[in-house]
Amino acid sequence: MIEMFHVYKAYPGDPPVLTDINLRVEKGEFLFLTGPSGAGKTTLLKLIFCAEEATRGQILVGGRNVARIRESAIPFLRRNIGVVFQDFKLLPHRTVEDNVALALDVLGVPRLQARERVRGMLKRVGLEHKADVLPLKLSGGEQQRVVLARALVNEPTLLLADEPTGNLDPVRTLEIMDLLRDVNVRGTTVLVATHDSTLLSRYQKRTVRLEAGHIVSDEDGVKAARRMVGA
Amino acid sequence: MSALAKAASAWRSTAEGVRHAPFVHAIAVVTLTIALFTAGLARGADALIQSLLASLGGEVRVTVYLEEGLPEEDAETLRRGLEQRVGGAATLVTPTDALERLGRELPEVRGLLVSLEDNPLPPSVELAVPEGRRTPEALRALAMEARRLPGVTDVEWGEEAVARLSAIARVLRLGGAVAFAVVLLATVTIVAATLQLSIYARREEIEIQKLVGATDRFVRVPFVLEGLLQGLLGGALASAGLLAFSRSAGPHLAQLLAFLVEGGVAPALLTPRLVMELLLGGALLGLMGSLLAVRRFLRA
Ligand SMILES: Nc1ncnc2c1ncn2[C@@H]1O[C@H](COP(=O)(O)OP(=O)(O)O)[C@@H](O)[C@H]1O
Ligand SMILES: [Mg+2]
Repeated sequence: MIEMFHVYKAYPGDPPVLTDINLRVEKGEFLFLTGPSGAGKTTLLKLIFCAEEATRGQILVGGRNVARIRESAIPFLRRNIGVVFQDFKLLPHRTVEDNVALALDVLGVPRLQARERVRGMLKRVGLEHKADVLPLKLSGGEQQRVVLARALVNEPTLLLADEPTGNLDPVRTLEIMDLLRDVNVRGTTVLVATHDSTLLSRYQKRTVRLEAGHIVSDEDGVKAARRMVGA
Repeated sequence: MSALAKAASAWRSTAEGVRHAPFVHAIAVVTLTIALFTAGLARGADALIQSLLASLGGEVRVTVYLEEGLPEEDAETLRRGLEQRVGGAATLVTPTDALERLGRELPEVRGLLVSLEDNPLPPSVELAVPEGRRTPEALRALAMEARRLPGVTDVEWGEEAVARLSAIARVLRLGGAVAFAVVLLATVTIVAATLQLSIYARREEIEIQKLVGATDRFVRVPFVLEGLLQGLLGGALASAGLLAFSRSAGPHLAQLLAFLVEGGVAPALLTPRLVMELLLGGALLGLMGSLLAVRRFLRA
């Protein structure tokens, strides 16, 4: 699903944010991307959905080299990738339903059909009763689920979730993680960037650890969990 | 189905843009209206100048002087040739006719004329120039052509009057064109500026649209439609304004013109054709403004 070969990312004038990243993520995999704040997790995700351009190296997403993608092809790449943004990116003056429908709107899905799919998606994340509410009236966990609904409503083959449990209490965190696991079980490849180590031990999934832009470890779920317990 | 859904979504988005910033859009529409109204007025003024020129040109007499002592049949051949060329009546004035006319027009010198041994006046042909050829250029060309004919010594016409009138018309037209260009530029700029505000107000939405896979075209179309809509609205309002203007000022104008020009030509201010042109012009201006804005402010 994703392959990275010797990928570097540097912003002009700063030391590199990502250094020699080599990574292979199989179709249908569930992967945690972890590491301290500032390690480069968000940047790595951005490279995958072309919000940033790699300075060097090759990145294949679904067999397509996005390091050399044409500008006009980016929208079509993004339609296969659902993204849960760290900062949500919800429109404050649009209802929950409209926010989720945005992802179908840009594809030209007719209104009625879109509404039906959005309602279905909201039900799946447990927000069907909040469809007509503005995002700011929702709790953090609910907003997070709206973002997840928007990312999933188009049934992407790849889901990127950036700190999806960022500021949530343990119960809300579990709700979100269960949703993500559910999505993965249905066949979507899921990448979760998180600095929350309790998630790693609980879910026992493959874990790639970034530190200062380097991959310092890449372990399967059991090993990663064992290390977390030992720590 | 998808194209239809996209069109529907673009219209919804456009309507939302207008609803969110009605004042800004009103500014653009008012600017467009003023520009198009002025252009419509200028068109009317131009038509007026045209008819003034035409009617004054009617008083211009082109006189082709022939050689003294030219045989009558040669003069007649020339007359016929000129008549064919001009497409209007050509009258041969023999020296005798000319002398008589001079005597009629200037009775004080009649005695003097009678005492002349020889008729000093040359024969001539007087031309009535049909309306289409009364422009200074056409008259000058005609004069040059006639001057080259064998047997013709000179051609006289109200060159100065016609030239002056047409110079005035030219200056007016040039000034109008320059003013119009300035108004055009200002209008396009203002439309582009309002759309820039529109784009800025929705930058968050645009960013998210792009992140979830919107094409550039999808993002741009609502703003282009906004510009188009502004232009059409401006054209419609300008037409309405011109209608109101010609209704209220028309009769006075006709009176004034009747005084200036015999026959009282009052060109219609608002024709269906002009309405079409105003709508089209508005649409074009709006489109230019929005394309400019979209190009400059919706870079990926
Ligand atoms: N647009 C940018 N310009 C310059 N530096 C940036 C930019 N975005 C991120 N960085 C830097 O890149 C590093 C990694 O950031 P990020 O990928 O957000 O880390 P993480 O998500 O792991 O916390 C940080 O040091 C951050 O300051
Ligand atoms: Mg981050």
